[in-house]
Amino acid sequence: PLSPQAGTTFVPRRGGMGESWEPADAAAVPLLPPNASCWVPSVAPQDILYRGVLRGKLQAGKCGATLDFTKKLSHFFVDHPEDAFGSLGRLLHQNFYLGNSKLKVSVHPAVTMPSITPPLAAAIPSLCPLSSLQRQARDCTIRMTALREVIDRLEATRGCPRKHLIPRLRWFSHLSRDWLFEVPLGLLADCVHEDLLLQWASLLFDDSPTGGALAWLPPRDMGARTGCLVYPGGQAMNHLCILPRGVSLGREGRGHVALPLAGSPDFQDVVLEELPCARGSPAQFELNGRIRQVAAAQVDGEDFVGVRSDYHCGVWRVSGRTGATPTPLQVIRTSVPASCLTVSPHLPGELAVCTQSGAIYLWNVETGLQRLRHDPQTMFFRDNSPWRWSDFTAHPRVLSCADRTGLQCLDTRAPTRCHFDLFKVGEEAGCQQGERVVLPMYMGRAYSSQHLITTQFSVYVLDERLPLVPVLKWAHMMKAPPLFAHLTPGGPRRSHKVLLGTSRTQELLLLQYRGEERGSGGGSRSACRLAGPPQKLHSIASCLQHLPAQLPHQHCLLQQRLGAPAAGLAAALQEDGSRESLLVFQLSEAGDEAERPQQPCASSQPSSAPQEAERPQEPCASPQPSPAAALRYRRWMQALSKGCGEPPQRSRPPTFGQKRLFTRKELEEPSAPSTLHRQARQRLHQAMRDGGRIQRWDPPPPALPQPLEPAAGDLDPLSTRLTAAWGWDWERWWEERTSFNMAQRQQALRERRRQQKRAR
Amino acid sequence: SSHEYKLNFKKSKEICLSYIQDAMLQKQWKKAAEFLTFYSESLEKDFSTEYVSPSEMIWRIGTEILCHHSHSSMKEFNSFTEQMKSLGVKRYLKVCLEHTFHLLCNGLIDEAYQNLSLSESWRFGEQTIIQDKEMKLIKAYRGLLDYYNWSKQKNILLEHGQDGFEDLSVEQEMHSCFRKAAVNLKEIIKIPGVWDLFVKCYVDLLEFYGDHNEARQVLNEYAYNSKFPANPNAHVYLYQFLKRHGESKKSLVSALKILHDVVPSHELMIDFNIMLQKSKKRKRRRLGLEVIFAVLDYAGWKENVKAWSCLAKQVKQIVISEKHLDWIQQEWNSRKDWWPAFHFSRYLAKRNWQENESLSYEKALVAGILLGKGCKYFKYVSHRGCQAQVKRFRILKKFVNKHNPVYLRISG
Repeated sequence: PLSPQAGTTFVPRRGGMGESWEPADAAAVPLLPPNASCWVPSVAPQDILYRGVLRGKLQAGKCGATLDFTKKLSHFFVDHPEDAFGSLGRLLHQNFYLGNSKLKVSVHPAVTMPSITPPLAAAIPSLCPLSSLQRQARDCTIRMTALREVIDRLEATRGCPRKHLIPRLRWFSHLSRDWLFEVPLGLLADCVHEDLLLQWASLLFDDSPTGGALAWLPPRDMGARTGCLVYPGGQAMNHLCILPRGVSLGREGRGHVALPLAGSPDFQDVVLEELPCARGSPAQFELNGRIRQVAAAQVDGEDFVGVRSDYHCGVWRVSGRTGATPTPLQVIRTSVPASCLTVSPHLPGELAVCTQSGAIYLWNVETGLQRLRHDPQTMFFRDNSPWRWSDFTAHPRVLSCADRTGLQCLDTRAPTRCHFDLFKVGEEAGCQQGERVVLPMYMGRAYSSQHLITTQFSVYVLDERLPLVPVLKWAHMMKAPPLFAHLTPGGPRRSHKVLLGTSRTQELLLLQYRGEERGSGGGSRSACRLAGPPQKLHSIASCLQHLPAQLPHQHCLLQQRLGAPAAGLAAALQEDGSRESLLVFQLSEAGDEAERPQQPCASSQPSSAPQEAERPQEPCASPQPSPAAALRYRRWMQALSKGCGEPPQRSRPPTFGQKRLFTRKELEEPSAPSTLHRQARQRLHQAMRDGGRIQRWDPPPPALPQPLEPAAGDLDPLSTRLTAAWGWDWERWWEERTSFNMAQRQQALRERRRQQKRAR
Repeated sequence: SSHEYKLNFKKSKEICLSYIQDAMLQKQWKKAAEFLTFYSESLEKDFSTEYVSPSEMIWRIGTEILCHHSHSSMKEFNSFTEQMKSLGVKRYLKVCLEHTFHLLCNGLIDEAYQNLSLSESWRFGEQTIIQDKEMKLIKAYRGLLDYYNWSKQKNILLEHGQDGFEDLSVEQEMHSCFRKAAVNLKEIIKIPGVWDLFVKCYVDLLEFYGDHNEARQVLNEYAYNSKFPANPNAHVYLYQFLKRHGESKKSLVSALKILHDVVPSHELMIDFNIMLQKSKKRKRRRLGLEVIFAVLDYAGWKENVKAWSCLAKQVKQIVISEKHLDWIQQEWNSRKDWWPAFHFSRYLAKRNWQENESLSYEKALVAGILLGKGCKYFKYVSHRGCQAQVKRFRILKKFVNKHNPVYLRISG
C-alpha cells in the first residue's frame, strides 16, 4: 500500500495526514421535534426465537436458531380470539346451550372436519353426549361448565398482561382445532410461518432502507444559506417533508401542479400513477406507502428528489428560488417491490429504478420508462438475494447495475450488447469468503469516473477506466453492513469526506479520501488514498446520557426509541469565514410494520440528529453538551412526553380474580373470632382512631435482658467474652485480649531468655 | 463447562476488541494501546475460527496505533514488528513487506532495503502459493529500490560526466544495481496484474542500455496480453514509448485507437484528435470527429475549453467545406436526444457565459450548427456576446445564420 511519486518519496496509501475534524458537541442533538405518532418498538430476536430451545441448543453446541412457531400460533388464539373462533363460534352458540346443570360433554378426537364449509349440522352430533365412547372418555372429555367458567374468566382478564393460557382451554382447542377455527389451521400455519421467516430475515439483514431516506439539498450558490432537508415523517413514515433550513416555517405549501403523464408504457412491471398532493407546511406530501429511500441530485440549478416506497416511486422538482413549492412530477407503481431509485446528476428528470424481480429501468420524466435489463438471476454467481441497484456513471447514457455479486456498466442505447464488468466479488478485488455488495455509490461529485462500493467487510473505490481492479480497499470493521453513504466533495487540494452509516447499529464513520491529483508538472500524480485515520461520529443513541433524568421504565423506553435502527444519512458543509463545519444529519426509524403488514400504523421518529464537526482544531469540547444543545434536549423531551409519552392504555385495567387465590375453606368466616383475631381487630381500630400505622403485627418482643453485672474479681475468659459480646463491645474486647496476649507472650519470652542466659 | 468458558472468553475478547476499535476511531491512541495489552490474552487461547485471527488483529491494530501514537518512535515500531514476525510464521513475509513500506514512507530507504534482503533469505517449511507470491513481491520491491539506487548513480555519473571526470567504481556499482533490478523486475511483470510502476522502471532501464526491442516487447505484452486486466496505462506507456522513438504515425494512431476503444475519455484523446484532424486521410479525419464527440460525452469533460474548441474547429471545417456533413449527422443521431439537455440548456448558457466566455463561444458555435439558430444556448450566448460588443460573437452569429441550412440537413 504505497505509491512512489516522482523521485523517491513514498506516500502511504492509508493513514498519513488528513484534515482534523473535532466534534462540536458532546453528542448528537435532536433537530426536529419527535414524531408524535404512536410508537411500537421494532421486533427483537427474542420476540421470534423460542428462548428455551435456543438456550438448549446453544448449550449443546449447535448453532442455528429455531423459530418459535407454536408460541406465535398460541398467541394468535389468545390475542385474537375473534379472528380465530369468531363467527363460527357465534353460529355454534345457538346449538350449544348447556344449561346450569353439571353437564359432561365428550368430544371425540376422531371426528375431524377437513374444512369449515360443510354444514354445521354435521358438526353438531359430535357435541352430543355419546355414551358409547366411555372408554376413551377420560382422555377426551372436557367438562364444559368448567370450560365456560374459564372462558368467562378469560373475558374478565382480557388485556391483562399476566394472563396465562389455561390448560383446559388449550386442551379444548387441541381437540377441536380441526373444525372450530375460522381460518384453517394449515393455511394459518403457512402464513404465520412465512411471515416469521420474512421477519427473521429482515432482522438478520434488512436491505429495504438501502440508500437512506434522508437527503440534503444544498443551497444553489454558496452565498445563500438555505438548503432543504427532505425526510419522511408521519405515522407510517409515509409523509414526504421538505423543510427549508434557515427559513421561517410559517408558509403554506401550495397545491400541486398536475403534469400530463407520459404515455403509459407497456410493461407489466411498472406503471405510472397519479400524483400526490401537497398538504401543509413545510411542504408535505402524503404518500400511500412507507418511504424507504429518498435520493436527490442537482441538475441545471434545480434539485430532483426521487422517493421510493415499496410499490411506488415518485419524483419531485425543487426549484432553486427560495420559497418555491416543490413540484411532484411523476409517480410510477411497481408490481414487485422496488429496491433502488437513483437520480441522474447529468440530465434533468432522469432516474434509474430497480425492482426485486431483477429489472432495471431508465426513467425519464419526459420520455417515460425504458427497461434495460430483466434478469432474475444474479450476474456472476448464484446468490438468492433479489436486491438490485443501479446508479449513474461518468457517461450520462451508461448506467451501472449491481446485485450482491458485483457491478456491471451498461449502455442504455444498446443495453443487451454494450456492457462491461466494473466490479466482481472475487479474486481480483481480494474479497473474503461470503463477501457481498451492500451499496454502490457513484462519486461523480468528487471524481467523475469513480465509484464507491461497500460490502459488509470493506470499502472499495473503483475507477471505470480501470475496471475490476479496485483503486483502493479498506476494511471498515463496522458491526453491521453500511447501508448509507454520503460524499461531501472537498474542492481542489482538499480531501473528500465520505460518510458511512449502518442501520441497525447506528454507526457513523467519517473517512477522508484523496483521489488522483495531478501535480503542477502534469506528469506526477498521487494515487488514491485515505487521508488521516477514520473517525467515528456520534450516533443518535449517544444523546441518551445528556437527556434529563427519567424514571427507569421511561428511560428504558427512551433507550429503545433512541436505539432504533437508523434510516438515513445526509450531510451539509457550512462555511462561515475561516470556520468550516460539517453538519451530519441522521434519521432514525423506530418500529416498522411488524405484526400486521396491511395496517402499517405503528412506526415513527424522524428525530434527525445533526452533528457538527468543526475543522479548525479546537481544544476538545468538554463532554457536557453546550447550553443550546441542553435546551434542545429538554424541548425534545417535553415534546416527546407530551406527544407520545405513554403508550395508549388498554381499554380495561387488568383485573385479577381472587376466587382462585384462596380456597373456599380459607375464605369461610370462622364461627367465633379467635383471640388473635380480636387482638388484631383491636389494634386496627386503635390505629384508625389515631391515624397511625401498624408497623408490626406481632406483639412487641420482650425487652432485652439486662446485661450481667460484672462480678467483682476476675472472671473466666469465656464469661468476659460473652459479656463483651452481649454488650456490643466484643470487638474492643478482642483487640484488648490480643494485645494483652502479645504483651504476655513478650513477657514470657523475655523471661525465658533471661533464664537461658542464667543457665549459661 | 469448558464450552461455556470458551464462549465467555470469546465474548470478553470481542468486547475488548470493540473497545479498542472505539478508542481508535476517536483518536484515543493511548486508551487503545492499553486495551490492546488486555486483548493480547486472546493469543493464549485462540479458539477463533474467524477470517482474521487474533494475532493478525494484534499486528494490524498495533501497527495502526504506533503510526499515530504521539509517543511512539521508529525504534519501538521496529521492535514491535520483529515481535509480530515471530508471532505467526504464515504471516512473516506480509509483516516484512508492511514493515518495509513503513520504513519507506518515513524515508528510511537503506533500512527498507536491508529489511527486504533479509526477508528474502527467510525459509520456512514448504512454500505455499501465497508465500511464493509474497516472496515475488518482496523481490520486486527490492528490484524497485535497486532501480532507484541505479538512477541515483546514473545522475551522479551524468553530472560528473559533464565535468569530464569518470568514476569507475560508481559506474560499476550502477551496472550491478541494474543487473539486480532487472532480474527482479522482469520476474514480477510476468504475473498478470497491474504493475505500472515496475513496468515503467524496467522499461527505463532497458532503454538506457539501448535494449529497445526488449522494452517494446515488454510494453506490448503488458498492453495486449489478455490475461492482464484491461489497463489503460499500459496503452499510454506503449504510446509514449513509440512517440519517444519517433515511430511512424500509423503505429501511433493504432496505439491511440486502442486506447480510445478502452477509455474514450482519456486525456490523450485531445492529442489524438488534433493528430487526426491534421491528417490528409479521410478515414482518419472521420475517426477524429468520432473521438472528440466521444470525449465530450463524459461529464468530466463538460467544461473543457480545449475539447470544445477541437470539436468546434472540426465541425466548422466540415461545414465550410460542405463535404462529409453525413459524418456530423451520424455522430449527432445517437446524441440528439440527450446532448441538448446535457450541454446546451439555458441554465448552462447563463452559467458558461458568466464563468468562461471562451467556453461559451466554442459551445455556442457547435450548438448553432447542430441545433440551428433557434437553439436556446446559441441564442442566449450570441445575444449576450453582441450586447457586450465582442467581435468574435458577431462573426459567430453571422456564420451560424449563413449556414443554417446545414442544421436542417443534419437534423433531417
